[in-house]
Amino acid sequence: MLAPAAERVDARRIGQAEHHDTLAARNARLAPGDTLTVRVRRSGDAASGDGFDEFAVPYQKWMRVLDALNWIAENAATDLAYRWLCGSKMCGTCAVRMNGREVLACWEAVEPAMTLEPLRNLPVIRDLVVDRTRYEDKVASLEPWLERASAYAQFPEPLDHRRMQNASKALDCISCMCCYSACPVIGLGDVTNFAGPAPLVQLGQTALDPRNDPQKVRRSLALTDIFSCVSCYKCEEVCPAHIPIVTRIIEPLKAKAAELVPAMAKHSFALRDIVAARGRVDPGALVLRVQGLRALANVSRVIRMLMRRKLNPLRTFLNIRTAAAGAASRILGTRKPK
Amino acid sequence: MQVVATEVVIVGGGAAGCYAALELNRRGIKPLIVCKGMVGKSGASLFAGNLVISGRLLGNTEANARNTAEFLIKYHNQFLIDQDWARACGQWIENVYYAELEEAGLYLRRDDAGNVVTSPGMIRSVAANVQGNSGVPFMDLRRKQIIRAGIPRLEETVATALLRRPDGSVGGVFCLDHLTGEYVVVTARAVIMATGYSDRLYPRSTGTREMSADGIAMAWRAGATLVNMEMQWWHTNDVAHPPTWQRMQIYPNPMLGSEKSARMVNALGEEFFNQQQDDPLAFGPYTVQLKALARQVQAGKARYEGGYYAGFDNCTAAEVETYTTYAKAFHQLGLDFPEQLLETAVTAHYRQGGIDVDTATMRASVPGLYVAGGVGGHSNGLIALATYDGKVVADGVAADLPELGDDAPAEQDIALECRRLDALRTSSGTGMAPVQVKEKLRALMWDKVGIEKTAANMTSALDDLAAIHRDVLPAMRIANRTRSANYEWLDAIDVVNMVDACELIIRSSLERKESRGPFFRRDFPLMDNGKWLVANVLKKSSDGMRFEQRPYALPLFKPDFETRDNLEVAW
Repeated sequence: MLAPAAERVDARRIGQAEHHDTLAARNARLAPGDTLTVRVRRSGDAASGDGFDEFAVPYQKWMRVLDALNWIAENAATDLAYRWLCGSKMCGTCAVRMNGREVLACWEAVEPAMTLEPLRNLPVIRDLVVDRTRYEDKVASLEPWLERASAYAQFPEPLDHRRMQNASKALDCISCMCCYSACPVIGLGDVTNFAGPAPLVQLGQTALDPRNDPQKVRRSLALTDIFSCVSCYKCEEVCPAHIPIVTRIIEPLKAKAAELVPAMAKHSFALRDIVAARGRVDPGALVLRVQGLRALANVSRVIRMLMRRKLNPLRTFLNIRTAAAGAASRILGTRKPK
Repeated sequence: MQVVATEVVIVGGGAAGCYAALELNRRGIKPLIVCKGMVGKSGASLFAGNLVISGRLLGNTEANARNTAEFLIKYHNQFLIDQDWARACGQWIENVYYAELEEAGLYLRRDDAGNVVTSPGMIRSVAANVQGNSGVPFMDLRRKQIIRAGIPRLEETVATALLRRPDGSVGGVFCLDHLTGEYVVVTARAVIMATGYSDRLYPRSTGTREMSADGIAMAWRAGATLVNMEMQWWHTNDVAHPPTWQRMQIYPNPMLGSEKSARMVNALGEEFFNQQQDDPLAFGPYTVQLKALARQVQAGKARYEGGYYAGFDNCTAAEVETYTTYAKAFHQLGLDFPEQLLETAVTAHYRQGGIDVDTATMRASVPGLYVAGGVGGHSNGLIALATYDGKVVADGVAADLPELGDDAPAEQDIALECRRLDALRTSSGTGMAPVQVKEKLRALMWDKVGIEKTAANMTSALDDLAAIHRDVLPAMRIANRTRSANYEWLDAIDVVNMVDACELIIRSSLERKESRGPFFRRDFPLMDNGKWLVANVLKKSSDGMRFEQRPYALPLFKPDFETRDNLEVAW
């Protein structure tokens, strides 16, 4: 049974209370008069050999990471390259990694000792400035806009918030790319064609809007490789706009993809069918269902999996059910094949 | 150096620039956007909290519609506005704007039953997705419309000079891509200046990082006439700490779905402003607040730099948070919401004046130069007005296009600008860094050209400016001569524009010998509708500059007194 809403914790808050890592605590670590130590990754002309420059920065009340960077640029390293525009969590251009964690510089409280680095998964132009092109091109390629199945009639059109709930969350996105930097699947490089969390949130703004033509949504989703997402929740954890990226954007988009582009969801469907039928995952059956008999061509992998008891040909081919099969099929139901 | 040819180049990627580009494109005219930040991610448009309802939309009564017009003309512009233009703008908002936005996909916030959620009161508003953050989805939509239309954009590229043809008309812009360091010359039959309202000429400014009065300075150098440059606008309730949140406002406007609004209290905890109670007609009550604060400052109960507070302790958390983002600063600081208040301070907000335009076509006084949005001197504030300019300027340019020249800009000017920028990057000066000069300039403006102005202080500021021009600018020190993402170089380019804009503001302020709305002169405390309900027109002349006065027609609303102490006037 779910805990009452007030007691539930989301991914980003797990452990915070126990470790005194609440927002109140983060804003009370330093007081005016204190000095913080800031190490900044430079692009080649750092004074020290490790690529970092270190600065002692006087703390100002409720100082943000961006305030520290501004202080450094005004007083210590006037040539420091870092990007920002609005300074108040709207433009999403100032994201950096602080002590290994993606933060929006204008929004995050400084820490007594901070190491600042550029975002990952994007080329660095200089110091903390990254090249956003790869991200921007991906977003544009998904054509994240509305195409109505029938002509727009007049203002205001029929629409209610319940049907916009997920899209509304996506509309909070400021495309800061914190999630794009934190995503381990994007970090794999060309191994997948995964669009990445931020482009999916951008797509979700209109793909989860009931006004959009499903045919348009289908075309866009087909370009996302969305099932490469492993639902690790890293994106949700770092999102400064507090968007429940996995639960409210990616999972609903996956559901849409399964409905509109079923071929993309082959793996998920196979997994679900196997669990529903047998009460547990059968790796052999899963691989066979997704890859077909060509899966057997990789003999060394088959032998490795057999030796590690990952495969049980008897169970796979005789379609043996476990005791949980009844419950699993009740919970998952039976899927009508498309 | 790269040379790009287009039919029309638009400088600025906010609400006005984007809409101008979309409207030109729709008319089959090829636009290109040059944006110092990123299209839809920089400038003031992003800060739009909500959209004011015009006319009879969404259940607005005739009285609501009239209140909106009166608010715009009195409270927002202190009558320094073309009322016929304002009326046409209101009609366009009612008949075109909302439908255009919604058709493009904007989500105007609904409740679960499907009603568009509005703020109640004498003037009503709606939000894009959520109040306080409306500018984000709004401008994101514009960005995507631009991408979808295939309109080329040069982003993180600063326009540094208007280029003129041998006949004196404007025929392009000189630009620097400040990520690569490459120069780009954009040639065009017309240039639309759409660089916005905010100039960041004070230590606390709402403008975004890139704003440094470039549009004003470039237009002035090209010979454009300016107007009402003294009319600066202030926010009184922007967050005092941390420094970067200086542009975050404890929004005083009516809230969606609630009868209440934020309140402001002085150092003793006494409430001194609450919009819904104190002045329901002042929908954006910035001038009313400033006057209320001035009285607190005079009584020693607040300072313009802080020592007074704002918040929502008169509301429930649910009232504030159901449809607004207004609690975000409180939460991020770990404060108890809504019980605790935040210290606030005055922040320079918009420049009401700007480039003088013909509001029927948005032509500036120099052939080939057009204007859209806040950089114009014809109105103040509101994203809808800036957007309307995009439509009018597209009409104006389309009509003029056959007569506009297409000769290339003078080669000599291009070579001169190359040399000027090269010299800034490779300066061997040993003086202050450009960013330090910016701060020095801002401090000077606050100390001597702040909220309460006097001729003596402003004259002294002009002397200081002359010294900066003579001694500080030529000696600026550049630590790194790289072309790649060299923000120090960019600061050096900016600061030259800022010095020029500061001088224009000070001279215009000295010229207007009255107080009006947010323009306070200690030596001329009266609002003088007899002598000064006029446009303060600033023209370039062979020996510098000269001022002219141009009266405003008052067909809809007029003030009901001739002179009165400005602090005693509600608006």
